[in-house]
Amino acid sequence: MRLRIGFLLVSMVVSVFAVRLFQLQGVDAQAYVAKARAEGVVTVDLPATRGKITDRNGVAFATSVDGLMLVADPTVTVKHASEIATIIARRLDIDYFDVLARLRKPLTRFQYIARRVPATQARAVLAAIDRRGYKGIDLRRDPLRSYPADDVAANVVGFVNEAGKGGDGAELLFDKRLSGEDGTATYEVGGGNRIPLGDNSTVPARSGKDLRLTIDRDVQWYTQRVLRSAVQGSRGLSGSAVVMDTRTGELLAVADFPTYDPNEPSLSKKEDIGARALRDVYEPGSVEKVLTASSLIDAGKVTPSTRITVPSQLKVQDRVIGDWFDHDELHLTLTGVIARSSNIGTVLAASRLSSRRMYGYLRGFGLGARTGLGDPGESPGLLRGWRDWADIDHATAAFGQGLSVNAVQMAAAVNTIGNDGVYVAPSLVKGRATTSGGATVGSDATTTHRVVSRRAARLTAQMMEAVTNPLTGTAAAAGVPGYRVAGKTGTAQRVGPRCGCYNGTFTASFAGFAPADQPRFSVYVVVQDPKNGGGGGSIGGPVFGRVMSYLLEKYAVPPTGAVAPTPRIYWGRGGRLPQ
Amino acid sequence: MSTLIHQARRVPRIAEAAVERARLTVVPRARSRRAARVPFMALVSLLLVGGVAGLLFFNTSMQQASFTATSLEDRAERLEAREQGLQMELERLRNPQRVAVQAKAMGMVPGAAPAFVRLSDGAVLGQPRPATVDDGLRVTPLPTPKPRELDPKPMVIKPAAGSRAGRQGVDGAASPAVTARTGTHETQSHQQGSLR
Repeated sequence: MRLRIGFLLVSMVVSVFAVRLFQLQGVDAQAYVAKARAEGVVTVDLPATRGKITDRNGVAFATSVDGLMLVADPTVTVKHASEIATIIARRLDIDYFDVLARLRKPLTRFQYIARRVPATQARAVLAAIDRRGYKGIDLRRDPLRSYPADDVAANVVGFVNEAGKGGDGAELLFDKRLSGEDGTATYEVGGGNRIPLGDNSTVPARSGKDLRLTIDRDVQWYTQRVLRSAVQGSRGLSGSAVVMDTRTGELLAVADFPTYDPNEPSLSKKEDIGARALRDVYEPGSVEKVLTASSLIDAGKVTPSTRITVPSQLKVQDRVIGDWFDHDELHLTLTGVIARSSNIGTVLAASRLSSRRMYGYLRGFGLGARTGLGDPGESPGLLRGWRDWADIDHATAAFGQGLSVNAVQMAAAVNTIGNDGVYVAPSLVKGRATTSGGATVGSDATTTHRVVSRRAARLTAQMMEAVTNPLTGTAAAAGVPGYRVAGKTGTAQRVGPRCGCYNGTFTASFAGFAPADQPRFSVYVVVQDPKNGGGGGSIGGPVFGRVMSYLLEKYAVPPTGAVAPTPRIYWGRGGRLPQ
Repeated sequence: MSTLIHQARRVPRIAEAAVERARLTVVPRARSRRAARVPFMALVSLLLVGGVAGLLFFNTSMQQASFTATSLEDRAERLEAREQGLQMELERLRNPQRVAVQAKAMGMVPGAAPAFVRLSDGAVLGQPRPATVDDGLRVTPLPTPKPRELDPKPMVIKPAAGSRAGRQGVDGAASPAVTARTGTHETQSHQQGSLR
């Protein structure tokens, strides 16, 4: 009997065990496994190091510095939350109450306190917390983006936003390439050290690839400063300057003013962020006359010495076209038309070319199409189809009104003349790189096509030399002593943003290349809405001259030694020079 | 036993070989050579102790290595941070803006006209000319314009012709205005006034 009672008791106990076993293994198994894992197991993100952006010589525009993030385990920090928050808020200049809330957050063991803190600063904060004996704050790697050159090339390089993603420029365009892939590490921890034979697994982070631009930092800096000087000096609204290697199409500088500091993008006005040279479109004005002239020569309609009788004004449809200077009837050669920048002369010469062919040439020069830099923010400009052209459109297109361009587009177009009539697409990336959108861009992937014959380009370049000639041209300030310089001024009527019509403001610009007989560099400068009464020659010319002379010096381009032919700008009895 | 052997010898010779083969003999009793217990026990216990100790030692050294690894990683991180700090310092010093501001403070200006000397025959290419103060370039931005209330139009008082005191007054008033319009640092302001 006693035995039976014993058996009964034992079986009861065993069945209780069995039920519990079933509950543990059968019902709640997953929950317990997870719980066991969480105990002492740490999973950390391993942030990938973002690739550098450098200039053409490897000088850094954007680097990733080993920043650290402060993270907290609120279950531990809740006890001394206010003390810890005081230390952090004071040393890192972040909001005290924000930190406090995070340090007290219930039901979690992980909270970000501060991100992208320079390593030395973060360590100092942690040391201060440790010294007072508070626990629960830890440091983790968190790459920090730094732009050591500040505003130099900021418009092209862009910046990284709060989330660590590209916010503009190359940082945005090549985000995929630069950012790499974050990894994770999971391991068991005891007393701050990894447990050697514990579970651990690591997916290593894949660092982003570097990106090399075609920009030369020194040229970029100099161009930006000269441009700023010119824009502020003329009380202009904004300005852009583009420096291009004539043969390769590599952009050595793309300067914009006003621009911003990528280290503190939020401090700048929204419209100052981004590349004005790509984004802003405007009517190019007289600079465009060189495209018209070279097209006319290529089509065999004119030569530089073609005689043009320029009346004091010209009526086209219901509009009257005038020149920037008052004159009686003038007898100008085509060279004279370019040198004196006569609208009427250009219109008369261009009337020999059909709208269809002129449109074809302009498209060949890259107008009305994106330059292929891959930037989604680039505006293609505006060039209406030739079928929509009335006579007045044909006439105004010949001297650069009624169509719009961005600065890089116009630089590439004028560069075509310097490059013996072959259009070379501009590039911003040295070598080749794939944009986040999947397009391959770069100096190795550039495309070229012939627009006008070598002869036409050479003759146009010679006519452009008359512009910088102090005796004949409109922009002596653009000359570089000892060098043959080809250039063209532009002072265009500007379309106001509000009314969508010419509002009396101007766009002053200057484009050119040097040495004129063996071009190495093309420079294009544009200043919007100058208020000192100056034009392309007096505002853009000096910028061009300074930047070009810096380029020739820096890249050790000696003068070719050839003597420029003396331009003939008048024929017959000529005309009276405007005073 | 010996008698048995003896009897067998008497068996006719006819099947001698077979008999010889079939003859039973007593297997000599195997000598029980017992292996010595002590060395074996010693070996086993040595292995056991060695194994346990080795495992313990291995574990300990692993732990030790883990501590060392953590501390070395820490150190590497600190050194890396320091290297980056120095790198940043270098970048700051190499910043073209900083270099330019310093060069300007030393009275330097950009080159006036590019020119080269050809080493083979000493010929001068280009048209060199000495740089002057007019070649200077403003490298710092203009100060933000003040609101009109804080920057009232200067009152111009026409001095009586020939009055010396009057002239001085105008000059004195004009120079701070020039500084405010173009100047950046006080040390440069007298130069900047004359630059574009």
